[in-house]
Amino acid sequence: MADQRASIKRLIFTLTFIGVFGSLFLAFVFNWTNPYILEHEARAREEAILTVLPDAVRYEEEERNDYTFYRGYDEQDQEVGIAVEYSEAGYQAFVYVMVGVDLNREEVVGAHVLNHQETPGLGARITEEDFLNNFRDLPVGEYEVVDSPEEEYEIEGIAGATISVEAVKEAVSGGGMLIMEHFGGDR
Amino acid sequence: MKNLISIFRNGLWAENPVFKLVLGLCPALAVTNTVVNGFAMGLATSFVLIASEIVISLIRDYIPDDVRIPSFILVIVIFVTFTDYFLAAFFPEISNALALFIPLIVTNCLILGRSEAFASKNPLHKSITDAVGMGIGFTWVLVVLSGIREFLGMGSLMGVDILGAEYTEMIIMILPSGAFLTLGAMVGVIKAIDRKVGARND
Repeated sequence: MADQRASIKRLIFTLTFIGVFGSLFLAFVFNWTNPYILEHEARAREEAILTVLPDAVRYEEEERNDYTFYRGYDEQDQEVGIAVEYSEAGYQAFVYVMVGVDLNREEVVGAHVLNHQETPGLGARITEEDFLNNFRDLPVGEYEVVDSPEEEYEIEGIAGATISVEAVKEAVSGGGMLIMEHFGGDR
Repeated sequence: MKNLISIFRNGLWAENPVFKLVLGLCPALAVTNTVVNGFAMGLATSFVLIASEIVISLIRDYIPDDVRIPSFILVIVIFVTFTDYFLAAFFPEISNALALFIPLIVTNCLILGRSEAFASKNPLHKSITDAVGMGIGFTWVLVVLSGIREFLGMGSLMGVDILGAEYTEMIIMILPSGAFLTLGAMVGVIKAIDRKVGARND
């Protein structure tokens, strides 16, 4: 009995020791790598905002109802549109999309996939320019995926990536409407 | 020395993790749709394998038998988390492409399997040799597997278009079923080679 007690103590000690030592090590690694990771994220966001608002050269953050919007300005300091990050469930996980809207024209002027975990080679093709060009100068609203778009609200899909395409489509449409809802009355 | 060389060569062929031990199939099937992904996954797994085998071999005499497996898993988790942070900080593109599969290295049976079957019973130099051999063995299989899949599925290798725009892409090769088909065919070829070599040696 005494033996067993001692051995339980040793078991607990062993696991605790590895756990504590490992946590310390990982805390150090986290401190070391986190600034780089945040930097990548910030750069990716900035790139995305300037991509979805093609005329913008700088932007300002603006909080409204817990959403963070980005107001884009061109070289003459004229406002060119609003961008917002919007997510929808994709095939594997959420697909995060930056959507840019021109308020005067009430049109989506650009979309950019920030983060996704779709299948490489299939769903991951939602990041390709050919597909994202669907979302240039598209009226804000609900869209439909078709083989060869002819109507205003139709967009072209990607073979073998139905679910991923749907996710981006929904995100663009949701993001567009969110912007119009918050800023549509501002003009 | 001869012993070490045979331990090293074990992982490359005779006890190749994917073909012979049939361990670590999940990443071997899941991320091998492009060569870059397959190679990065192979390297990440090899790193975790080597680091874990080193630590486990060093502490093997102090770990009570009853908590052997939980201790190994803790050690593996520590190195996988390190790899995850490291890739996200310095190789964001690879990190994005592999995403979920990096944390999943924890559940790669290859690492726990080698820790339990080898590092927990062998001294440091032998464990390192085993880990390097197994790591290279795992990586080459992933690279070949992903090479076949990317070539047939997208007509490219390492992202460079080879077969041109006229090539009709075999989308099934990129999908999970393509991984099973390719792996099955490769296991068949490896068996056939083994049988030929065996017959010649007799």
